[in-house]
Amino acid sequence: MDFRLTEEQELIRSNMREFAETYVDPIAAEIDESARYPAEVIEKLAEGGWMGMPFPVEYGGQGTDYLTYAIAIEELSRSCAATGFTMSVHTSLSLMPIFLFGNEEQKKKYLPPLAQGKHIGAFALTEPGAGTDVGAATTTAVLEGDEYVLNGTKTFCSNGPVADTYVTFAWTDKSAGRKGLSAFIVSKGTPGLKVGSHFMKMGIRASQTSEIIFKDCRIPKANLLGKEGDGMKIAMNCFDHGRIGIAGQSVGITQAALDESINYSKQRIQFGKPISKNQAIQWWIADMATDINAARFLTYHAAWLKDQGQPFTKEASMAKVFCAEMAMKHTVKAVQIHGGYGYCKGFKVERLMRDAKITEIYEGTSEAQRMVIAGTVLR
Amino acid sequence: MPEILCCFKWLIDESYIRASSSGELDLETVDYKLSNYDRNAIEESVRLQEEYGGTVSAITVGLPDSTKGVKDALSRGPEKAYFINDDSFENLEPSQTAAILADIISSQINYDLIICGEGSSDLYAQQVGPRLAEKLGIPCISYIQKVQIEGDRIVAEKKVEDGIEVISAPMPVLLTVLPDINTPRIPGLKDTLGASKKPVINISKDDLTVSYEAKIHTNAIIAASMERNCQKFGSETEDIANLARALAKEGVIK
Ligand SMILES: Cc1cc2nc3c(=O)[nH]c(=O)nc-3n(C[C@H](O)[C@H](O)[C@H](O)COP(=O)(O)OP(=O)(O)OC[C@H]3O[C@@H](n4cnc5c(N)ncnc54)[C@H](O)[C@@H]3O)c2cc1C
Repeated sequence: MDFRLTEEQELIRSNMREFAETYVDPIAAEIDESARYPAEVIEKLAEGGWMGMPFPVEYGGQGTDYLTYAIAIEELSRSCAATGFTMSVHTSLSLMPIFLFGNEEQKKKYLPPLAQGKHIGAFALTEPGAGTDVGAATTTAVLEGDEYVLNGTKTFCSNGPVADTYVTFAWTDKSAGRKGLSAFIVSKGTPGLKVGSHFMKMGIRASQTSEIIFKDCRIPKANLLGKEGDGMKIAMNCFDHGRIGIAGQSVGITQAALDESINYSKQRIQFGKPISKNQAIQWWIADMATDINAARFLTYHAAWLKDQGQPFTKEASMAKVFCAEMAMKHTVKAVQIHGGYGYCKGFKVERLMRDAKITEIYEGTSEAQRMVIAGTVLR
Repeated sequence: MPEILCCFKWLIDESYIRASSSGELDLETVDYKLSNYDRNAIEESVRLQEEYGGTVSAITVGLPDSTKGVKDALSRGPEKAYFINDDSFENLEPSQTAAILADIISSQINYDLIICGEGSSDLYAQQVGPRLAEKLGIPCISYIQKVQIEGDRIVAEKKVEDGIEVISAPMPVLLTVLPDINTPRIPGLKDTLGASKKPVINISKDDLTVSYEAKIHTNAIIAASMERNCQKFGSETEDIANLARALAKEGVIK
């Protein structure tokens, strides 16, 4: 067993930290308040090669392992969870399925602009009536000659309003059960593809979330990802990868909460001494630091398994649910440590607490993660 | 086209240093970093190369386990690094560092321009640059905030007390640069991943012509403690007079 990161991983972590402190920290509160997409930061991330980390150089990526990617998401999210999530959805849910399930032609066509960050990717699976229950989706894809015709409404599509490339899912054969769902690549500007209403959210407000509506949307037959019927498998695989990203994001959020809590509690004087001198506060901070350590190891272990080519579905779910619930629990405590000030705009913990909540919901709720874990443990 | 050599030091990141109540420094859990102004030195070397062509190499003297520092420096642009390392190269004092650098540079490395940071983030003795220039027998210009190459001469702006002195010197020359000179870019992924593939020339103590003994011995390093003194004053005329008296007593005002 070796708990050390490589020198490269350590340098990449500190470079991402410096990047985030330089370009993200100064605008994080503003883009949260105005729910603005930080296009200028995404461009800078693209310049630095961060938008296609774990993909081979031949497809425009950087060829890092998945662990390094998880570390980068963590450090970026420590400054802004919304920006971290934008990068994570793009990488794990859009590039990854094209890389893993696309044919050579699709990979050559779609991956380089995405991996270089010139294009932004999105993942449109959820529907108004199909959240945790993916099988309740109603979007259909009918083959007519050389084209599939897509009809249906996707909701909660992250990066939806800004994406160039969507990975989406529709039934090609409703009668085939789970084997009837298929995955497709749809490009921005395809007639019949419409970005619907935008959601105004509690947290990660700078991440853009919208409906995506397909109305007689015709896409080339060549845009089928994998084979007909592979949709469910591809979606679940996306989640396995995505959940490691969300776990990293949650660790980053909680680390920020700890950083803020340490600083504030040492400075805030009540009863003639810093509040950090009270054992109650010390224990909260000790628990926070301990959970972050545990969470980080769960995340890195899941990523490491993926890098070793071993199964990691269960571990990704474990990391996701643990990290998300830890983030929620400790950001609430961080606000508590800040007292009334923590409840007000201007203190970072107020944003952290709102941002943390989503990690328990997207890419499978905590309950959905427990279903996955129980499913493998009880088998 | 100039051959540029930039010097860097891999040192303890001061933000990790904790001091005990007795003032002793806890260095158990520290991390390391490139000395702050050396980042400016590397950046300026690379910037000059972008403008005038030529080559950029980096050089450091340190412990053998400073390999991460060498990668860090290389990720910032130089195409190769000279890594002079030995287990005994811990806490070298400036005269030793300068002498070791001079020994290796004069015997092994071609250069037109050597760029150092004005001082290191730990000791800030500001001696390695000038001492190195002296040993190499080349001009040294310090406190540089802007530099250009004109033909075979360097034209540099030196910050002085109440203004700027513009100095020109023939190459080869050594410059020590201030942080104002540029904003070092943050290495992207490709830079970091590419750094591992760049050549590193390992140089050991055996390659030195003589061994250099320390001239200065550090007996102790103790954290500075700041005496805080809090007194409260009201806003009546008499209180303000008291405040003024208290400040005068402390020597804050005369
Ligand atoms: C900000 C944001 C971004 C998102 N981004 C994307 C995206 O990019 N792409 C995309 O496709 N989707 C996205 N989603 C959708 C997200 O993945 C879903 O919201 C999530 O899967 C839950 O679905 P739901 O909201 O319909 O809740 P529901 O499935 O209706 O769940 C409601 C509650 O019931 C619980 N529940 C449901 N079924 C069970 C069960 N069998 N046992 C126990 N409890 C159960 C859930 O855990 C939850 O607590 C996003 C959502 C949000 C809010």
